[in-house]
Amino acid sequence: MTETWSGQGVELFQRFREAAGFFSRTRDANFDMLVQFADLATVVSVRAGQVRLIEQAQAPLLAYDFAVKGSAQAWQAFWLHMPAAGWHDIFALNKRKAFSIEGNLQPFMAHLQFIKDLLASPRARQA
Amino acid sequence: MSAVFEPIVGRYSSFDIDGKLCRVYFEEAGQGIPLVCLHTAGADNRQYRHMLNDPEITSRFRVLAFDMPWHGKSYPPEGYQETEYRLSTALYVETIMSFCAALELERPVVIGCSIGGRITLQLAHLHSDKFRALIGVEAADHQEPWYDTAWLHRGDVHGGEVCAALVSGLVAPQSPEVYRHETLWQYMQGGPGIFKGDLYFYRVDSDLRGKLTGIRTDLCPLYLLTGEYDFSCTPEDTERTAKSIPGARVTIMKECGHFPMSENPAVFRRYLMPVLNEIAG
Repeated sequence: MTETWSGQGVELFQRFREAAGFFSRTRDANFDMLVQFADLATVVSVRAGQVRLIEQAQAPLLAYDFAVKGSAQAWQAFWLHMPAAGWHDIFALNKRKAFSIEGNLQPFMAHLQFIKDLLASPRARQA
Repeated sequence: MSAVFEPIVGRYSSFDIDGKLCRVYFEEAGQGIPLVCLHTAGADNRQYRHMLNDPEITSRFRVLAFDMPWHGKSYPPEGYQETEYRLSTALYVETIMSFCAALELERPVVIGCSIGGRITLQLAHLHSDKFRALIGVEAADHQEPWYDTAWLHRGDVHGGEVCAALVSGLVAPQSPEVYRHETLWQYMQGGPGIFKGDLYFYRVDSDLRGKLTGIRTDLCPLYLLTGEYDFSCTPEDTERTAKSIPGARVTIMKECGHFPMSENPAVFRRYLMPVLNEIAG
């Protein structure tokens, strides 16, 4: 992950916001998740199982529950309609160190499938 | 519309495992060479329903799939409420040997997936003479952990949901949606702490690296089949394992994940049938 990814980070953020902006499930899920696309950080706010806000993180002191961070290459590979082996799941990416998952993992694990589906939503739109 | 019946028959049996009477549920179909099927950690014998319903298999094999004690329709042994479930290598071997002895199976073939794959290696090491052949699916002598199993059994995280969500990424993206979600449902229905207890065997008690000496693949062929999308037991893990076992035969399965027989039966049988054909002669 380097500064050269800046343009890609913006593109990835826009693609994610378009796909995930109306993501919802019938679920009592409430959390703030930092999602980082290359060097571009965004905060996704989920309330009552609905994405309420996805915005670029610009405040100097960011507050969030947990973070999922990935390189541009990792997000692009992850969102392919049929991703390659080892690039198809957030834990596979974490294992190969293309993603990192950090922070308070209790809400992350409590709503894991919700979060996995949310993060993969650009792939679903492409299918 | 009249019902369509499958040829699978389910039965309960009671026999001792490690000195404790266990009521074990199993399903079977077919006639011929006994083929004992071992489910993955935290799951149950439903993973083998496609093999049990496959006439090309059941015409030559008596396919038997049992729920391990604590899993599926098999109760835990009496007094379980005072204990914490932890599967050990010794108990797992004892469970399989007890099932085979109780049903008087003569030199059966054993196929096992994930933890069931790992234990086929130990069966090959200890009991090559007792089996006709061993098939380890997603099998390796060791693999690197990719999450903390403490998350599988906590008061503030739903155990069934987190088990299913964690393993969902081990299903290949090509697998049909209906079978993907059947596979995940099995994980949602596991007893509290059972997946974690199975992984005690997998993560803690069964590092078999350097311990698989003396395996006689000339007496008991050992086949290892691993899906390319399995990032838990990777193809590299299986290939490394096979290098330490003269005569072990490895196949890497395209478009398969960690649960091939359950998640994508049509693709799995393409890889399985040549193995079973060879065993049946």
